[in-house]
Amino acid sequence: MSAYHVMLVHFPIALWTTAFLIILARALSDAPAVRAAEGALTPLLALGALSGAAAFVAGLLVWPPEAVASSPLVRNHLLLAGWSLAYWTLLWLVRWRGGERVWQGAFRWVMLGLAALGVGLQTLTGTIGGYLAGNPSAVSEIVRRLGWEVFTTFYLPDWVLVVLVVSALVLAGLGVVGRRQAVQ
Amino acid sequence: MNAPSLTRSLAAAVGLFLAALLLSWMFHGTGVVRNDPKRNIHIPEELTMPLQVKAAFDGEKIFFRYRWPAREPRIYHDMLRYEGGKWVRIGRSVPGPQPEHIYEDRVTMLVDDGAVPEFERYGGYITIGDRMRFFTDEASKKEVEAHPYLGKTAKQEEVRKHLPETRTDIADWSSVIPQDKLAAQRKAGYFLDLWHWRAHRSNPIGASDDEVIAEARFGDKGRGVFTNNWDAKLARPQLMFDPEKTGGRYALRWEDLAERKLGFDDLYYLREDQAKPFDPGHAWKDGDVIPQRLLRAGDGSHADIKVHGNARWKDGYWDVTLVRAMDTGNPLDDKMFMDRRAYTIAFAVHRDATGSRWHYVSLPVRLGLNRDADLKAVQFAGDGPKWEQAWHEVKLFYPGQVSWPMLNSRKHAGAEKIKQGVPVKFRHSEAQLAHYGVEMEFNDAIIRQWRLTLVAGLLLIAGFGVALLVLLGNKRNAS
Repeated sequence: MSAYHVMLVHFPIALWTTAFLIILARALSDAPAVRAAEGALTPLLALGALSGAAAFVAGLLVWPPEAVASSPLVRNHLLLAGWSLAYWTLLWLVRWRGGERVWQGAFRWVMLGLAALGVGLQTLTGTIGGYLAGNPSAVSEIVRRLGWEVFTTFYLPDWVLVVLVVSALVLAGLGVVGRRQAVQ
Repeated sequence: MNAPSLTRSLAAAVGLFLAALLLSWMFHGTGVVRNDPKRNIHIPEELTMPLQVKAAFDGEKIFFRYRWPAREPRIYHDMLRYEGGKWVRIGRSVPGPQPEHIYEDRVTMLVDDGAVPEFERYGGYITIGDRMRFFTDEASKKEVEAHPYLGKTAKQEEVRKHLPETRTDIADWSSVIPQDKLAAQRKAGYFLDLWHWRAHRSNPIGASDDEVIAEARFGDKGRGVFTNNWDAKLARPQLMFDPEKTGGRYALRWEDLAERKLGFDDLYYLREDQAKPFDPGHAWKDGDVIPQRLLRAGDGSHADIKVHGNARWKDGYWDVTLVRAMDTGNPLDDKMFMDRRAYTIAFAVHRDATGSRWHYVSLPVRLGLNRDADLKAVQFAGDGPKWEQAWHEVKLFYPGQVSWPMLNSRKHAGAEKIKQGVPVKFRHSEAQLAHYGVEMEFNDAIIRQWRLTLVAGLLLIAGFGVALLVLLGNKRNAS
């Protein structure tokens, strides 16, 4: 299954990277050519999410579940892959539901920020995938200098987990309250 | 539509989201890894350390020179201190550093000549079997002593290093193959030679222990270079210092050891020819100390390895040279060295008053005698090696609780690669293995936190997504 996983990951990487370039261009420009290219964003993100999900599932089948759970590098790869998929899926949903409005006002910068985070996550995911495939790169050194040793599992203590869950609820609440205030 | 209000809400959502990410980055990897003596867990402050090695031979003898950093030399070991009318043992092996620093420094070297092929690929990992001594799930003394061979015949009290094929099931320490097959394995060379230098037992007499790893870790045949000075029945030392041979001394003083006043040129050890039977009638005072280990001239295969020159710590480094006959004439205990042959060796160092599994180990190193190798033994003629060659640098690492059964199980993503014979070096660096070793000691707790982290991260993304989608509104009310 390893070979199929490696084959499949090319698709979301290519699609999301292309999507990032379009988002970057659209965040910085309202030129007609850029607007035309942006028209392809929703299908690109949809295909990225679907192929990303397929690559994720194929990746889960490379090793036995016990090995996935017990290897720090595999744990990190899975964690980052899951978050990458979630980020890009979120971008797809936002663009799909929001339409052209995502390029109005401050939203365009949020789109750009989310896309940049997504690219960062997929780069890290790929870096760790490279280690697992026997092709380590120097990217991990950058991450190490920023404070994360990629040979150790990325996990959070309980109190930070609680903060994240509460933050998620507050974020949803902020959206609802903000919307109500905006329409009043 | 109140655009400023919408922008404020969006900014608040983005700010909260970024703050949560920043918090995660700052505190990741905390809250789980901590020392826990009850589970035999102590994580060293430094996970890797350097070791420098040179080798030389003259056709008769082979020399290995080792150099490694240590903050202080630890040359005291196992002391019996008189306290309130009783003799109390100080210096038992504990998880991590011995609290009173009564634990000796050591350097060890495993040697194979190709008869244990897995050793060339995986080094000392192959010797770490099921429920080893000082692992969290170690087999009890009672269990081992009850074993018909290991306990009753081989007189083992704990599961020590052993080779995989000495068991019918590598995941069961007790599944030792029949003795006639063990004997045949030994005859075929299926064992590792273990050179074992200790700063207290018995560097002061210029000797080193010589051991072997087969179905367990044993001393070679013959008399060892140290023995136990404890009389278990009478709960007191068997021997004491002979004042006529030690300048009027009956015992050491605890304060001299605690303050580490005794150095290489002082008497801090008990030597057979300086000892006499313990005198219970002597006026022993609190704080009198007699070493629990008696250093003595060994014999036979057990005493093949000597210290060349003086093994000393100076300016932050140990410098130890060991020498042995290339052919000891003991093929059931020792690996013979021959010109033009290649060998696999692996090293370990104990420092900072740690014992047992709290050591730093190396990956396997190829040694060549006039052969291309990682470490080339230089041939010389004359009284002794000149040591003009450069050091071979080895990175040692803390191995944690990683066993050979685990590495071959479904828990290890590389188990299939081991079956295919892919060497450990191909996939793993020393630093990587050190981190893995630590994580394996907390595997269950880390798996739990990692799963929760994955879910919490997804929830955070989902929460942010809800905020964005709601703030964007639907197409009907967009205007």
